[in-house]
Amino acid sequence: MTTRSTTEKVTQPVGVSVPRIDAKEKVIGSALFADDLQFGPGLLYARIKRSVYPHALIKRLDTSKARLLPGVKAVVTGEDTPGFIGLYLQDRHIFCRERARYVGDPIAGVAAVSEEIAEQALDLIEVEYEPLPGVFDPEYGASPDAPLLHPDLDKYEVVNFIFPEANSNISNHFRIRKGDVEASWTQCTAIIERKYRIPHVQHVPIEPHVAVARANEDGKITLWGSSQSPFAQRNLIAKALGKSQSDIQVVAPYVGGGFGSKAGVSMEALAVVIAMQVKGRSVKLRLTREEEFYTTFVRQGVVAHFKMGCDREGRLLAMENKFYWDGGAYTEYGVNMTRAAGYSSSGPYFVPNVKTDSYCVYTNHPVSGPMRGFGMPEMHAGLEQCIDELAIAIGMDPVQFRKLNCIKTGDTLVTGMTMHPTGLSECLVKAADAIAWGRKDPSSAPHKRRGKGIALMWKAPAMPPNAGSSAKVALNEDGTVTVSVGGQDIGQGSFTVAAQMAAAALGVPMEWVRVATPLNTDYSPYEWQTVASRLTWSMGNAVVTAARDARQQILEMVAKAWNEDLDDLDIIDGKVISYKSEESISLKNIVVYGMSLPDDQGWIGGPVLGRGNFMPTYVTGLDPETGQGPRAVVHYTTGAQAVEVEVDMDTGKVEVLRGVAAFDVGKAINPDMVKAQMEGGFVQGVSTALFEGLQLKEGFLQNSSFVDYRIATSTDAPLSLHSIIVEVPQDDGPWGARGIGEHAMVPTIPAIANAIYDAIGIRVGSPPFSSEKVFLAMQEAGLVE
Amino acid sequence: MTTHRITLTINGEYEQVDVSSNMTLLQMLRDRLALTGTKNGCNAGECGACTVLLDGEPVNSCMVLAVECAGAQITTVEGLAHDGILDPIQQTIIEHGAVQCGFCTPGILLSARGLLNRNPNPSDEEIREALVGNLCRCTGYLRIIDAVKDAALRQQALLS
Amino acid sequence: MTLNAHPELPEFDYIRPASLMEASQFLAEHAGEARPMLGGTDIFVRMRDGFWHEKYLVDVKHLDGSGDIRFDPVAGLTIGAGVNMNRVIASPQVQQHYPLLAEACRSVASYQLRTRATIVGNICNASPAGDTIGACLLLGGTLKVHGVTSFRQVPLPGFFLGPGSTVLQPGDIVTAIQFPPPPQPDSGMYIKLGRNQMSDLSIVGVTAYGFADRTTTSGYRFRVALASVAPVPLVVHAVEEYLAAHEISPEAFKQAGRLAQESCNPIDDVRGSARYRKAMVQRLTEKALQITWGQLQ
Repeated sequence: MTTRSTTEKVTQPVGVSVPRIDAKEKVIGSALFADDLQFGPGLLYARIKRSVYPHALIKRLDTSKARLLPGVKAVVTGEDTPGFIGLYLQDRHIFCRERARYVGDPIAGVAAVSEEIAEQALDLIEVEYEPLPGVFDPEYGASPDAPLLHPDLDKYEVVNFIFPEANSNISNHFRIRKGDVEASWTQCTAIIERKYRIPHVQHVPIEPHVAVARANEDGKITLWGSSQSPFAQRNLIAKALGKSQSDIQVVAPYVGGGFGSKAGVSMEALAVVIAMQVKGRSVKLRLTREEEFYTTFVRQGVVAHFKMGCDREGRLLAMENKFYWDGGAYTEYGVNMTRAAGYSSSGPYFVPNVKTDSYCVYTNHPVSGPMRGFGMPEMHAGLEQCIDELAIAIGMDPVQFRKLNCIKTGDTLVTGMTMHPTGLSECLVKAADAIAWGRKDPSSAPHKRRGKGIALMWKAPAMPPNAGSSAKVALNEDGTVTVSVGGQDIGQGSFTVAAQMAAAALGVPMEWVRVATPLNTDYSPYEWQTVASRLTWSMGNAVVTAARDARQQILEMVAKAWNEDLDDLDIIDGKVISYKSEESISLKNIVVYGMSLPDDQGWIGGPVLGRGNFMPTYVTGLDPETGQGPRAVVHYTTGAQAVEVEVDMDTGKVEVLRGVAAFDVGKAINPDMVKAQMEGGFVQGVSTALFEGLQLKEGFLQNSSFVDYRIATSTDAPLSLHSIIVEVPQDDGPWGARGIGEHAMVPTIPAIANAIYDAIGIRVGSPPFSSEKVFLAMQEAGLVE
Repeated sequence: MTTHRITLTINGEYEQVDVSSNMTLLQMLRDRLALTGTKNGCNAGECGACTVLLDGEPVNSCMVLAVECAGAQITTVEGLAHDGILDPIQQTIIEHGAVQCGFCTPGILLSARGLLNRNPNPSDEEIREALVGNLCRCTGYLRIIDAVKDAALRQQALLS
Repeated sequence: MTLNAHPELPEFDYIRPASLMEASQFLAEHAGEARPMLGGTDIFVRMRDGFWHEKYLVDVKHLDGSGDIRFDPVAGLTIGAGVNMNRVIASPQVQQHYPLLAEACRSVASYQLRTRATIVGNICNASPAGDTIGACLLLGGTLKVHGVTSFRQVPLPGFFLGPGSTVLQPGDIVTAIQFPPPPQPDSGMYIKLGRNQMSDLSIVGVTAYGFADRTTTSGYRFRVALASVAPVPLVVHAVEEYLAAHEISPEAFKQAGRLAQESCNPIDDVRGSARYRKAMVQRLTEKALQITWGQLQ
């Protein structure tokens, strides 16, 4: 593994907080999102008929009346989708066949000349269900008493690092067996054993899902959509339909928020299948906000059991964890969260003895998928509260306890991997400092109590070991640079940092660099997915390689034309300069037309096109029985958050006054955008801590709209947020960079829970920490009448 | 279902449109006039992504019928900049890094413009309250609030 | 439960009558199929969710004085049906003479929704959670109703029959709400407990209103109305009687809180449990009265 990146001198604009390159487009309203694309009067509209039962056999499905409604152009059902689809585990049909497994499961789809007619057609589709007993709790689902939701589980295609258990509802069982946990308990001076039930939440991107599909007579399919992952969508849909990847073209314009909900395939395949029935016509499928809440992806719920113990000095000795993930009706994506939580189940701590069983369990709940943090927020929610409790049980300050135990460079991790250089301790100290840990400030009113809490986090990109990135850097006659990537900007700013890195690696001003948008799988270079906080690192490496490749081509050409040594040449500010002869020439024109030789004796050069790719090569498998292996993940981003809250003793309402975040990002390519991620993630974390949870009753969602699914508004944002960048370089990151996007919302729930404890002496446990939950807990504890 | 021929002014342009009774202002803007800057986030008056100015006041365009807008003046995000010069709030929201995915941005800009029109020197609390009907999932709001405050200062400077 | 909300509004005809008479007649003739419409904020949501299926929406917000706010020291305050809540909040007369009304309006939803929402609409929607209803009840509001045969006044007590249900008949159009001139000095407050800081529907809402009254033993009269804890907005008469008859003290307010709690029978729902609501009614009633009392001094 080369270390050239970290010894690379930092070249502007890397490290500079340049404004984002797509901001102007967005503020004048000309940035196009998927629903803004115009398809002309021939556009058809699709609506989906969905299961009204959480678990039922489909005894009879009659679409004949719907087909006859004037204006209806196509009706599709599971009859048309015999193939399976899935990212890690192929466990679902695009439209259900024989059986519906959650309220909202697509049973039929209609395309019509207007959305109204499509909607009317749904009412004409007759469905006869035979309701079946349902599974609504993952521990129950994992037990032998529960009905089998996927009797053919053992026949599903599955990647080799996911382990379903046949004849059960367990679609993945990840194990950690490290050291000897049983023997360790006797050596512990303090042991904490707790259970948490973390509810499902939904991503709530402000832009609901939308997809437009068209299938041509020649077999080519085009899919336009709000998408984080055009290449993954191309791949999964092709496989499910028995086609080849190049038969499908995915176009992905601006995305109005993803947070994971627009990764993988959720509703897009529905539009494609419907479009295949009306060759040559474009079909648009838009989800209502209500559908967004329960028919796309949701974040898994989990019932998490923690047991952890430390010795007299406060050193963590053992952890025993059991996670029952509520994976929902299909866990084709969710299975990997189970694994990711498993291989990080010690939390960001050195623990010599760990036993973890992480189960992904089918339930008749909405489908789980990736959500910002990918299992880490759910796990840390309980784990970091236990750490606090353990600290206090042993008589140690929670910050001191964490200082002692937090993961440090060179530590052996829970999977046996060795920890690379990390600034976690620095993050902890800085966060504690910034919140003025140990100082109790007076409350703002007599009926309020103030408290502070802190929590650490870690997360690795959760992805297949061979997830790759590629990039192209093309030079234009006017000297501008077009960077082509396959990674999407979902708001995090990936296009801007790609431009910054290309500018720095090539030697041109930032203003000269453009990123080719929208993403288009026919023209854009391959990118596995825009998830896992991997783009700055992985795609960044590809972009840098491509930019250097272009740079090399230019310098070789000029060296020949000037008869100089390559080593004497450089590109600075868009000009090739010679340190030796002090000649200089602008990049304009020569990067396309080449350079002529003296005395008109010919030409050299040609259109400059740089290419680059990056794929980690060093991730190893893990032993299925023990979860041990030399290198489980590419790297970890670590960090800390501290909060100050006030609890209203009259109502139980928790207000987050201020927050502090410190994350080790290796190298902040754009510091202001890194901080913006820390702020946005923090507020999303606050929202999930205080307000959010899908209220499911026997599989039916009670709060399927903004009326009753509350998210943080401008009046809920804290008074201040202080974001601290720590930079301990990643050995194979561009300029040492690693990701930040997800990490910013991982420790927020437990930081707030720990602050509530500091304020009122009560452990609130499972989120959301609503006013009601806190008030009733205060009542139970005798703190209020 | 009845249709109505209405005339109204949108971003200073006189328009005549035939709209059905049940068409919302949002639908008219997006589907009839291809003014896609105004977004649909929930169609229920909760998220604010569809905010426009109706006779100078912020409304959720998904909760107004197009036919009710006969004779009205509408301002959408496309009408904020003039002759290539950005509205101060457009300028400051860029400078403060308060745009991420950009989907809530048009609605935020219109709500802020409405606020600054009626209250040229708002406090932080007044800004938060004015924006409570504009949901943002990306930024965490603080930079947006700073951008509005900054825009108020710039606006004062421009006017004086 | 809005699992099956439609993407857009269902089909209907938009009717804009030129006069109140025309409007009332149309509504009466199409009883069951037509609904009067002001800001539409409640109607559109119900229609999209599939609960209401009217064929006609009759826009009455531009008729005969519906757009006026008038204050007169003798007649009091008249707010036309078409006056949106932002205008009420901004009105100098409301701020000066009926600040409780402005406070109640400010708690509703968001600025954008308040550009459309009206007090009369809030009342006619008859949701037990209606934020402005408590203030209107306690301030002695009376509705002016234009019907097919006559104009009449309908006092608010007794107006509400159940959730979403009022004494209005087909053909009735509420044209304004009128409040008598307030006794001086007076004070009030509206405490709205939502799940997040603002813009929510109330878990519990407590409106308190008090004024000096020499005819009572205590020398004061206090009124309390509760939102979201009963099928209709609830005025707690027991509180008024108690605080009229007993000397004002923190203990009296504590007792008032208990009386308020006993008066209501909230349910468990997606927003909160009955147990929590009862506890909050008690504490927030006590608190609202305490603060109102403090403002009167």
